[in-house]
Amino acid sequence: MKKFLFASILLVASVSAFSQGKYISKNAYISFYSSTSMEDILGESNEAVTILDSSNGEIVFQALMTTFHFKRALMEEHFNENYMESTKFPKAKFKGTIEGFKKEMLTSPVSNIKISGVLNVHGVDKTITAPGTIGLENGKLIATSKFKVIPEDFGITIPSLVRDKIGKEMEITVKASYLPYGQ
Amino acid sequence: MKIKYAIILVLVLFVIGAGVGLKMFFKPHADISKMEAKYKITAAKLIDKFQSFEEGATKEYSEKVLEISGKLVAKNKLPDGTDLLILEDEMQGISCQLDSTWAANNQSVIQNLKNGSPVTVKGVCKGFLMEVKVSPAVIVK
Repeated sequence: MKKFLFASILLVASVSAFSQGKYISKNAYISFYSSTSMEDILGESNEAVTILDSSNGEIVFQALMTTFHFKRALMEEHFNENYMESTKFPKAKFKGTIEGFKKEMLTSPVSNIKISGVLNVHGVDKTITAPGTIGLENGKLIATSKFKVIPEDFGITIPSLVRDKIGKEMEITVKASYLPYGQ
Repeated sequence: MKIKYAIILVLVLFVIGAGVGLKMFFKPHADISKMEAKYKITAAKLIDKFQSFEEGATKEYSEKVLEISGKLVAKNKLPDGTDLLILEDEMQGISCQLDSTWAANNQSVIQNLKNGSPVTVKGVCKGFLMEVKVSPAVIVK
């Protein structure tokens, strides 16, 4: 009887934790892409960490700049040393909320959402609103987003000599597959 | 006559310059399996260093090649096929993404690794995001 009671308490506790708890992805995908007639640039990382709070729809996203990979080693070097100054600003961060968040969004098929919050890149804060999707895909909670940023908005200066090779806007793509997190 | 030599000299310098430039432009990614570890450290100590003073540990270890020994707690494959080893703690441990070329040639080594057993990896430390990120990495033993 005691065992049964204990088991039911545990069950109730875990179910309630699941429904109001947090979701995490430690290997979220993030990329940025710029295309010009001279050069296509694609940097990708699958090491971003993101936490989604299912009680209020708050999303926190962080990525280490040094985890971005490029086709060419030289691009990676320039990205970290010249543009992002990764030793000074090692992380890009986003903190925001899903507009009109409802808990059902996390347990139903993929739906379109808008996420707004503050993006911090290169030490500069900027408020953004990005379109995205969230919902179950093959039994997994998946969130995606795609939006554009302008490097100069974040105090990133690109020398005029190579300015034509790097697109005026960068397209950022994010994809995270969340798992329940916590007790 | 002197002018002729000068022209040849300029041409030679130009070819060398262009060669060096192209070599730099197409420089391949460093091969982690051939790189020497700058520090040898246990997984527990590395985690402790990042958790107690992240900024200092980032300065000391970020972008450095480390040889890390610890306990394997999880082995995963990411959607893109990358092999992932997690040391010490599944949530706040060390996440090592294996070098894809190395992993392709050493699948048996990866498959023989058992959760709970000791493992030593060598890889580039990328910093700290809840866990210590190491990529690319190879298994040493």
